[in-house]
Amino acid sequence: MKGKLASLPMSYRLAVTSRVLAAVFGGYLVAALASVALTLWLPLSRAEAVVTGMTISFLVYLVAVLWCFACRTAWSAWVGLLVPSVILATVSGAARGLGFA
Amino acid sequence: MKEGFRQSMAWLHTWTGLVFGWLLFAIFLTGTLAYFKDEISHWMQPEIPARPINAEASLNLAQSYLLQHAAGAARWLIDLPDARDPALTVRWQQAPNTPGERGKFESRTLDAQTGSEVQARESMGGEFFYRFHFQLQMPYPWGRWLATMAAMVMFVGLITGIITHKKIFKDFFTFRPRKGQRSWLDGHNAVGVLVLPFHLMITYSSLVIFMAMVMPASILASYNGDVRAFYDEVFPASKTPERANRAEPLSPMAPLLAKASEQWAGGSTTRLTVNNPGDANASVVLSRRGDRVVHDFGRAVTFNGVTGERLGSTPEQPVAMAVGGTFYGLHMGHFAGSTLRWLYFICGLASTAMIGTGLVIWLGKRQLKHAKSGVMPFELRLVEVLNIASMAGLVVAVAVFFLANRLLPADLAGRADQEVNAFFVAWALSVVHAVLRKGRKAWVEQLGLAAVLFIAVPLINLTTPWNLGVTLAQGDWTLAGFDLTCLGAGLFLGWAAWKMQRAGSAVSVKKTPCEKPRPIALEQEVN
Amino acid sequence: MLLALLLCYAGFSALCLSMPRHHDELLGNKPSARRARGLKLAGWLLLGLSLWAAVAAHGWSFGLVDWFAVLMLSALSLVLLLPYRPRLALALAGLSLLASPVAAWAQG
Repeated sequence: MKGKLASLPMSYRLAVTSRVLAAVFGGYLVAALASVALTLWLPLSRAEAVVTGMTISFLVYLVAVLWCFACRTAWSAWVGLLVPSVILATVSGAARGLGFA
Repeated sequence: MKEGFRQSMAWLHTWTGLVFGWLLFAIFLTGTLAYFKDEISHWMQPEIPARPINAEASLNLAQSYLLQHAAGAARWLIDLPDARDPALTVRWQQAPNTPGERGKFESRTLDAQTGSEVQARESMGGEFFYRFHFQLQMPYPWGRWLATMAAMVMFVGLITGIITHKKIFKDFFTFRPRKGQRSWLDGHNAVGVLVLPFHLMITYSSLVIFMAMVMPASILASYNGDVRAFYDEVFPASKTPERANRAEPLSPMAPLLAKASEQWAGGSTTRLTVNNPGDANASVVLSRRGDRVVHDFGRAVTFNGVTGERLGSTPEQPVAMAVGGTFYGLHMGHFAGSTLRWLYFICGLASTAMIGTGLVIWLGKRQLKHAKSGVMPFELRLVEVLNIASMAGLVVAVAVFFLANRLLPADLAGRADQEVNAFFVAWALSVVHAVLRKGRKAWVEQLGLAAVLFIAVPLINLTTPWNLGVTLAQGDWTLAGFDLTCLGAGLFLGWAAWKMQRAGSAVSVKKTPCEKPRPIALEQEVN
Repeated sequence: MLLALLLCYAGFSALCLSMPRHHDELLGNKPSARRARGLKLAGWLLLGLSLWAAVAAHGWSFGLVDWFAVLMLSALSLVLLLPYRPRLALALAGLSLLASPVAAWAQG
């Protein structure tokens, strides 16, 4: 920062805040859903699947965070997280429905 | 963001690095010290005699002590001495007042040969650094949460750093000293890239270590909320049986050591946990000394406390657990012998230096723009104060912690807490000092103070029976090594203070030669 | 660990020399394409050999850990030594190469 914080337009600051919130909370959501989907679908014993899901989740979190700052607009940060979240939730639900859990 | 992938990653690297840099510096410095926590503890409690190791004898002594002093406790823990840690420690935990809470712990150190209580000066020793680096002196579980969040940010920082570093291969061997900001950046890149395997391992493993706490969704989903069932499956040996409320004497535990060693094809026991001692449903869990790279979570051997029969068989660790165990084992480095342990230490210092140089560069670039006006805007001044206090101030605090250990009377009540208080008071004072003094002066003075304090450590030790002359003659390399390392640290800090002083008297606003300007102009872009 | 360290250091030195900029800094001229390729090959070969040395000494588990540790240490040492004592850095590379057979014999 060059000491001219006041010169940054509000819209920019809101956009950055939005991306940060998306990355922190939205990213966590996607990572958690990914861990659940992996756990329910992996053909391993329950404990193994859980451990694998959790271990991999942080890579998903990383990608989500990078996405939130690499994408063109703050809105696309949220959309880009929402879509995978819905897919992962559906996939997890499907596993439940099919009796994997 | 709009500017392109690499530039947005550079922005992310810069800002996450700044906001979490100070915390991460502290985590990495204390974590690095923790690799020598046993040695630090030995120096800080030199009264504990190092005896020739006899596990069975020590265990017998511990058992009779606990029978005498902690018969009614819900759980006993016995930590057997080893080459790095001469202490025979017994701990007992009373049943918690409300279920789900943690019961209160009491701890005693025993002489491994005679079984009598050792009147070692009360001190946290190296454990202080170990616990601080993942608990941050905050109440459970908030410290761990914050530390793990910091680890995730570190992970983002590492990856964005790699993405941003365009000439990662071309500049692999590049380090150009004596070129101002350019050198700091080269240094940051050097300790970053050349030690990258360690940085990535230590960061990701710290996430894995606390993953059940921070990412429990899959446990909850798979076990329908029954977290207990998950832990029982992963750590089958640590299931605490229900009390039978029938008194039955605990059998001698010493023979169990050999039985466990058989199970582990020759490994040895580091800790015994006795659940429900004195009850019919007593169980004894033997934990294996870390001598493998891959930590085996399921490998604890459990015996019935009364009959001595082995409870349950532990099958080979499945791949997923072995992966987790690898992360755990690599992070802890329990298996490391002395050379490798020093290498862990050096790598940890490199991580710390990577963070530190990053913080210095962040400020340095922006300071250049204000060098002419001589007045620093508030935000930059804040960063400057935090840089000085979180780096030089922290190092001063570490030296104060060691000095307090020698200066506080050995029989002072609550001295373990007082040593810790001294650490934090020193750290807090360094913040005040950094606020009151001009940037460069504050650096020179704090680094100089740290140098003096570290050199004072072996000097103060000269007044004790464990001084360098004695320890070198006796070949006690732990104690001698500690004094020598403090001396070395003091000399290094003195050199750093001197360089800082010299650089100050020749302030130059050098233009770095034709390097692509780092994208600090990003924040001006309107999104 | 010593053999692995020596081979790593020599390997990194070779890789460093294979780069025109560093070859010029250290030896005063740019390398020919053939030499650069040769140095690159030698460098990678030495690094591979050091991995083999580490694993041969202590098995895969400890060997891999030792190798990474030695890799990082030797790279760091070389890079920090180069700007201050370039001739020493190169001399050490030569010495490492010469000492390797001895270290290999000692490792048994």
